[in-house]
Amino acid sequence: MNFALPTILHDWNGFAALARLHSQTEHCFLDNVEIDMKATDWFDADMCAPFGAILYRLGAELNSVHLVDIDPSVEKILSQNGFLSYYGREQIPDYWKTTVTYQRFDVEDDKYFSKYIENEFIRRYEIPKMSSRLMKKFHESIFEIFSNAVLHSHTKLGIFSCGQFFPKNNCLDFTVADLGVGVRKRVCDYLGNNLSPAEAISWAAAKNNTTKQGPIPGGLGLSLLCDFIDLNGGCIQIVSDAGYWRRKNKRTYASSLHQPFPGTVVNVEINTADPSSYILSSELADNEIF
Amino acid sequence: MNKDISISVFEVVGSPLCVASGDGQKVHDRLAAALRQGRGVSLSFRNVTTLTSAFLNAAIGQLYGGFDENRIRELLNVADMESDDKVLLRRVVDTAKWYFRDPNRFEEALRSGMEDEDGDS
Repeated sequence: MNFALPTILHDWNGFAALARLHSQTEHCFLDNVEIDMKATDWFDADMCAPFGAILYRLGAELNSVHLVDIDPSVEKILSQNGFLSYYGREQIPDYWKTTVTYQRFDVEDDKYFSKYIENEFIRRYEIPKMSSRLMKKFHESIFEIFSNAVLHSHTKLGIFSCGQFFPKNNCLDFTVADLGVGVRKRVCDYLGNNLSPAEAISWAAAKNNTTKQGPIPGGLGLSLLCDFIDLNGGCIQIVSDAGYWRRKNKRTYASSLHQPFPGTVVNVEINTADPSSYILSSELADNEIF
Repeated sequence: MNKDISISVFEVVGSPLCVASGDGQKVHDRLAAALRQGRGVSLSFRNVTTLTSAFLNAAIGQLYGGFDENRIRELLNVADMESDDKVLLRRVVDTAKWYFRDPNRFEEALRSGMEDEDGDS
């Protein structure tokens, strides 16, 4: 099986291309899967998370995956963030310190994930210069995304993360992908109706909506993320099943992909030059909390 | 007269990153045990740098499924918490109150709490 991978940006086209890769290879078993990257003249490094998820799934089906004809500039960035180490290349030093390592986690690995975030963001003073409040809110957002994957995905194959700093644009992108049941199935099972994948994401992102049941409440993580992104002037994109959902400039856009992604991807892009204070409302007295 | 007790979130979790639902559950179990005894609790967030809604839902939001809102307000207070974290906690509390307005969820939480107590004995 051969697949020609086009340029991969973290946008609708990039997600659609990766969903197409999944669609064309999902029935491969004990096969030789060759990903031809001749035409991949750019690869937004944080997209290694959904790309790696699809390739990991192929490996779990006992396929041999080979990435061939990689453009040298793409090979360099995917070697710097450790992605190509999973496919036989050596990791090379990142002298510009703009990459955030590609990593796979199991759902029980929350402690490892915390350590990873510490190593990749908290202890790396070279990236990027952000106000301490923004840095704190960014960390919290990343953990909210990871927690969502842990609590809701029911994945057995893991959670994949990767990031990239774009200093010229004052942007930091971070993407988390899982190979779980997807938003649509959870929402439709919960509501007992038949929403489209994009409608299901919109429902899940609305304040207080949750598919959670049982003694621990939910229904806040995604709306907190959206509030933060609105204040920061960044962007959040969610892909699940064949649904694509984006929030930017306080406006939401939802559409369909032609093929489904086998799980859920959340990408956040934050504006690192934002000086906002991130106090979401006026100060609260202690006796006003409960 | 019973003295109020103090619980350090950092001590329970063992990290400044209070992000996982499982760690929140550990805090919840201590809080619930104290509230069941009618003891006032001061929950200290000293040295905690990062909080998520998942952690706070498990640690505190969950209490609203097992205890009356007024009882929680009477017995529980937080200390050493940054102002933006207080705002987050308030949102978690509001969401929990809304969540448990669904009688099915409330019944389920009560059942689950009773099962926990049975398991303890």
